[in-house]
Amino acid sequence: MAVSGPMLQLVGGLALLSAVAQADAPPADQEFLLGQALFVGHADLQGRVRTHLVDLPPEVIRCGNCHAAATGPDVARSLAPRLTRDLLLEPRARRGGPVSIYDPDKFCTLLRKGIDPAYVLISMEMPIYTIDDSSCRALWQFLTRSEHASSTH
Amino acid sequence: MHRVPTDLGRRRVCSGALAACAQALLLGAASRAHAQLVGADHGRVNPPVPIPDVAVRCADGGMASLAAMVQGRATALHLMFTGCSTVCPIQGAIFQRVQSLLPDQGARAIQLLSLSIDPVGDTPAAMRNWLKRFDAHDGWIAVAPDPKDLDRMLELFGQGRNAVESHATQVNIINRRGELVWRTQQLPSADSIADILRKV
Repeated sequence: MAVSGPMLQLVGGLALLSAVAQADAPPADQEFLLGQALFVGHADLQGRVRTHLVDLPPEVIRCGNCHAAATGPDVARSLAPRLTRDLLLEPRARRGGPVSIYDPDKFCTLLRKGIDPAYVLISMEMPIYTIDDSSCRALWQFLTRSEHASSTH
Repeated sequence: MHRVPTDLGRRRVCSGALAACAQALLLGAASRAHAQLVGADHGRVNPPVPIPDVAVRCADGGMASLAAMVQGRATALHLMFTGCSTVCPIQGAIFQRVQSLLPDQGARAIQLLSLSIDPVGDTPAAMRNWLKRFDAHDGWIAVAPDPKDLDRMLELFGQGRNAVESHATQVNIINRRGELVWRTQQLPSADSIADILRKV
């Protein structure tokens, strides 16, 4: 994608501000910011449809392409659930399975293997991800911290 | 403009003359076939279903017959709309990889066809942007049906999944006689699409 000179300057400025903010942030906030960046696509994820032999381009497998987070804006014409703290942490039946609840390990299992906490396979349309523990934990932090609504806009 | 390869490399798909010829030939068969639809979720379509003779708008702004467009080529067709941020970008990336796997696509008379399910929103310019976004080259075209034909397209190529939010992501394989012969599973791999297209 072609990016113009002024746009490059703007992106560079934002990246610098973000870097400064992250450098000054406590570790928990750095984790949160990483999770946010992964969610919206400012940091790349690696993943593929689970029946595929190769990874897809990062820009087509962003979480935010399908899911809204917390009280952030809707994703137009998407049936993927809004990922809220309540959705993940409250006991509830999902995908026809028994009542279940997410924790960080189960959340990472879902991302990596496409299997939810009740051992039900998620939709084929959701990619599976090659994601390390720290990035996975960062996404979990971003999605489950209750006070982050305004930062997803 | 995006041109569709043929074995001779000469014809433009969105030409009125080609459309008119094939329209006359296929009208009867397509009408008969429409009643035979709805089969297994994916796999071989038996008996093959002739592609109906509906008019579509091309990314270059011209009109063409869908039936004529698929004559003489092996075609992989998916449903999409350009305003879709969810599964459609994945579908586009899959077709992009199919093109990379088929460097001899033109010589084999293979084409990829993105059929919009948002004929109002998907203007020719929007479809051109869709193709550009995925670096589509010759042999990948995008078209939008007339709104009155949309349900028919969704039934044939999406097996009744008619909500734009949950449209089918399978790929429909059409043989060189213009017949739908195979439906893949949802979001098939590029490798599998390329493999099937080589064998059609």
